[in-house]
Order: sequence, then C-alpha cells, then structure tokens
Amino acid sequence: MPADRRGDLWFSLLLTVLSLVVVIESWRMPRLQDLGVHPMSAPGLTPGLIGLVLLLLGLLLLLRSLRERRATASPVPSRPAVAGHRGRALLAVGLCLAYALGLLGRLPFAWATGLFVFAFVAAFGFERARPWRTLGGAAAMAVFTAIAVTLLFEQLFLVRLP
Amino acid sequence: MEGLSAFAAAIAAFATPSSLFNVVWATLLGIAVGMMPGLTATLGVALLTTLTFRMAAGDAILILICTYVGAIYGGSRTAVLLNIPGTPANAASTLDGYPLARAGRAGEALGIATIGSFLGSIFGMLMLVLIAPELAEFGLKFQSFEFVWLAIFGVVIAGRITALDDPIKGWIAGFLGLLMAQVGQEGIHAYARFSYGSTDLSGGLGLLPALVGAFGFAEILSVMKQASYETVRDAGRRILPKMRDITTRWWTVLRSSVLGTVMGIVPGVGEDMGAWVSYAAARRASREPETFGKGSTEGLLAAETGNNAAVPGAIIPVLTLAVPGSAPAAVLLAAMFIHGVRPGPMIMVEFPNFVFEVAAMLFWASVAILVLGLALTRPMLHVLRVPREYLMPLVFVLCVVGSFAIASRVFDVWVMLGFGLLGFVLREMNYPMAPLVLGIVLGDLLDKNFRRAMVLSEGSLEPLVTRPISAVLALLTLAVVLWGIAPVRRGVARLFGARNLSKWQ
Repeated sequence: MPADRRGDLWFSLLLTVLSLVVVIESWRMPRLQDLGVHPMSAPGLTPGLIGLVLLLLGLLLLLRSLRERRATASPVPSRPAVAGHRGRALLAVGLCLAYALGLLGRLPFAWATGLFVFAFVAAFGFERARPWRTLGGAAAMAVFTAIAVTLLFEQLFLVRLP
Repeated sequence: MEGLSAFAAAIAAFATPSSLFNVVWATLLGIAVGMMPGLTATLGVALLTTLTFRMAAGDAILILICTYVGAIYGGSRTAVLLNIPGTPANAASTLDGYPLARAGRAGEALGIATIGSFLGSIFGMLMLVLIAPELAEFGLKFQSFEFVWLAIFGVVIAGRITALDDPIKGWIAGFLGLLMAQVGQEGIHAYARFSYGSTDLSGGLGLLPALVGAFGFAEILSVMKQASYETVRDAGRRILPKMRDITTRWWTVLRSSVLGTVMGIVPGVGEDMGAWVSYAAARRASREPETFGKGSTEGLLAAETGNNAAVPGAIIPVLTLAVPGSAPAAVLLAAMFIHGVRPGPMIMVEFPNFVFEVAAMLFWASVAILVLGLALTRPMLHVLRVPREYLMPLVFVLCVVGSFAIASRVFDVWVMLGFGLLGFVLREMNYPMAPLVLGIVLGDLLDKNFRRAMVLSEGSLEPLVTRPISAVLALLTLAVVLWGIAPVRRGVARLFGARNLSKWQ
C-alpha cells in the first residue's frame, strides 16, 4: 500500500474520531435557555454541524482508503514513507522548537536569537561549505540577526519582543 | 465621475515622500519574498501585518498591498530563471518562461512578465474602482442567509479548485479551518467554546499567528526538507521586451486581465487560477498554440497578466462583502479589521473614500513593480543566491516575533508552532492550505450569520433555498460539489460528449 494512501487511512481515522468528539462536545454545550436565549442561537449549533460535515468527509476518506488498501494489498511494493529528506525536516523542527520553547524566555532575546541562528546555519551549512567557512558564516549571521532584529523591531516598529 | 475624482485625489494624496518610501521598500520586500521558492505572498503579508500593526492604518495597509502585489510579481523571476514557481501563482509562468530563459532570452522573458504584471494590476485596479461601489450596493441586499451561503461557497470552491485531483482533501482542509475558528468565545452570547477553563483558549486561536504558522513555519520545514535548488548567474543582455510582443498582443492582455480579475473576485479562487485560466484561454485562442510550453511569449504574457489582475480582483470582495478572494487577501482582510476598517457592504457608507484609497495603493504598487522590476532585474538576482540555511532561521525569528507582537501573548507563539506543524503534515499529505486559511477567516462569519438566520426563520431552513440570491448561491455550491464527484463528472462528460471536460478529471 503506497505511503500517501497509508497516511490517508490514519488521517481519516483521526479525523473521524475528532469529528465525533466535536459533535458530542457541541451537543453537550449549554443551550442557555435559562437566560431566555433562543434555542436556535445555541453556541453548539454551528460547530456541531461543521463536526457532522467533517465526520462525513472523514468516513468517505476512510472508505476510500480501505477500498484502495484491498485493491493494492499484495502486489504493489511500498515505497519509502516520505520522499525526500525527512531527517533534515526533523532537524529543522528540533532547532525551531528548541528556540521557541526552550531558549526564548530563559535567555535575553538577542542571545537566544543569536544562538538559534548560529546553530541553524552551522547544522545545515556543513553539506555546502567547509567547516571553518560554515562556522564563520554562522557566527556572522547570528550576530547580524540578533542585533538587527532587536534594534529594528524595538526601535523602528515599536514591537515588544518575546 | 465622482468616484474617478476621488480616485485621482487618493493617488495624489499618496504621492508624498514618506508614502513613496514605503511603496518602494515594501514592493522590493514583496518581490524578494515572492522570488524565494517556498516563501509566498500570504506569508509576506501575514508577517508584515504583525510587524506594522502599530503604524497608522493608511501606511500599514499601503505597505501590505505593495508587499502583496510585489510578491505575486516577484515569483515570476524564479519561474523564468529556475523553473520553480516563486509563489503558487507563478506555476503557469514556468511553462514558457523557463524555455525562453534556456534559449538565452531570460531578460526578455523577465521584461514580458513585468509588463504583463503591470498591465494586469492596472486593469484590475480600474475594475476595483468601477465594480466595488456597485458590488457594495448590491451587497446591501445580503442578509444572514446569503452570508451563510457565501461562507460555505467560498470554502467549497477553494477546496475544489486547490485540490483538483482530490477535492475531498480540499474540503477537509476548508472545514477544518471553519472548525478552528469556532474555538474561543463566540460572537453572540460570549460562551467560550472548546476552552475547558483555559483563558488562552477562550480568547480563541489568533488568525495571524495561525497564518504565520501555516504559511511561515510550515514553509520553512518544507524548504529545508528539499534538496537545495540551483542558483542562477545571468539574466541575459536584453531586459526590456520587444514592444511589438506587447502591442500586437493587446487582445491577450485584455482577455487575461478580465479573466484574472474575475478569478480574483470569486471567493477563495485567487491568483493561481487567474494565471492558469488566462494561460489556457490564450492557448486556445492563439494562432500558434503549438509554441505554448516551448517558450511562447504570448503564454508567459497571459499567465503573468492573469495572476496580477487577480490581486485587485481578490480585494474587491474583501472590501465589499468582507469575503476574501484568495489566501493573501484573507490576511489583508484581517489586517483591515486590526486597523479599525470594517470592510463589507456598508463600506461605501462608513468609509466612502477607502475603496478609492485602496485603488490608489494598488496604482502605486503597480508603478513600483514596473519601475523596480525593469530597473533592478540584475541586482535582485542576488536574492536567489542567498543560501537558504542563512535565510530560513531569519524567517523563523520573524515568525516568532510577529506572532508574539500583536497581543504580547506567549500562547500565540504556541498557536504559530502548532499550526506550522499541522500545516507541514497536511502539506506532506497533499492537503491544500488556501481552503484552511479561508475557513479560519470565514468561520466567524458563518457562525454568527447561520445562528441569526435560524433565529429569524424560527429554525426553518427554507429561506436558505427560497430567497433569490440564496438560491443562486446554493445552486452554485451544489454544482461545485457535484463537479468534485468523479462519477458525476464522467456522466456529464458522456452526456455532452465534451472532450474538454476530461482535463478537469
């Protein structure tokens, strides 16, 4: 079974469950009738209907995935889960989350930003240039970004930095 | 006549040094964003919305419109030189732009794209001046029933058109967007939905952090996942196109401008379809259809005229119905709300000059892409030579700062991260992002109007299909849904024996 269809199967299951939860939660929302609210303006009405549509779409996707699974059960060899470079995407996710959730708030903005930019450029730059050149470029970019972003947004755009 | 004089006055009002300075830097930034593969007009407009929200409304919206026009135009550079569309709107431009570049006519192709984009933008702008006041007046006839259908139609057609091969995924993305907009305090009784006691969740998922995540963080991950792209060295000697290529193709320019503007006006369709429909129409009408896809200047002219004409087109429903014509226009709509402008049918009553001011902003943005595009073709190529590992961390820092800036809430940074990861996963599974964005924007409109409509009709669904405008919108929605069902499409094709329908299957 091809990877994208396998992804469809799992996603359709997730969507079906999520939609069911949305429908149930919408039904359980207060109707506010004790406040004299018209029953047709109850807060759960629209999300409940959207949940029903998503439930229908999730079931359609699920049925289609199951049908295709049966049709391509044995002879088709499966290809790698994700074409391309999943490792690089995971590295980028890790670095970005470490910056946004780990460094910011614990270090001053400029320091956190400088460290993140240095690590990002260094991590991805090695495949393109020599180590000393990559590290030099990463350091220069880190200093430039930390100073430029801090000054530009605090002084010019008057924006509060995290 | 009154409108034209207001338009002329607005153009003159923006001819000040500070406004022109903003026009130049914002257009250049837009072109640079559009040129970078992976960075889109939506991201550019969303990031700048968060960073300019403390500016005066006029300055901020001018900057956003220049960025929007610049980015849609800027993507043509990459399409011609690298065979990679800088933004999705420039995909059709690769078909003839890149073969022209390979034939040593890159500069000429860039010039044709520039002139086409300029003419398309100017035509769309004129249509905005002429149509928007009339459409706003027509919009005054809309009640809750009609707005319900408008919201549903927008999501359904955006889902269908952005996922031609698999419309179910487009619709899932659109309805997920509508669902996400339901989180937090609703607009009628202030009940906090899906919040579970969290004050952050009861404030709702911020539109701009969500967009910055879905178009910024997700794009960074997509770009970093791919193998690096080749950079260009030369644009060739000739930058200006042969004027004969333009003057003898005035009909192509006019047709593409009309089609682009119309595609822009249809909710959720936008610039991508503006380019594709114009390109297809030009090929059908051409005396040399065999040259299309092999370096036809006519094809490139049609695609670039069409996508830039769709920009003012997409702004027309933003101003008159508060319904965006495309994903970047959805961000522009949010920005207008942030700056205290309330687009919608009442715009000509509450802000009578605003439509003409927006048209004047489009005028200056169009002039800027013409002048900067022709004058700075070679220097702008340096943007493409910046290694992505240097650019992407800077973009991510801007995503974080931008998400935090509007409300100084750390929760908004989490929303950005969450939507970025969700957007990346959905993209990997071929779910389009435009319907998701449109759903998030239209969710509140749908919710309030549906419940109001149900109260007005005492729970009866009948007015939703019996009121004339509602009935038309309902039929259009049904037609789009049926068009997305393969057996129905095949049946229609068999019925009419129409070979052309097969290309939509």
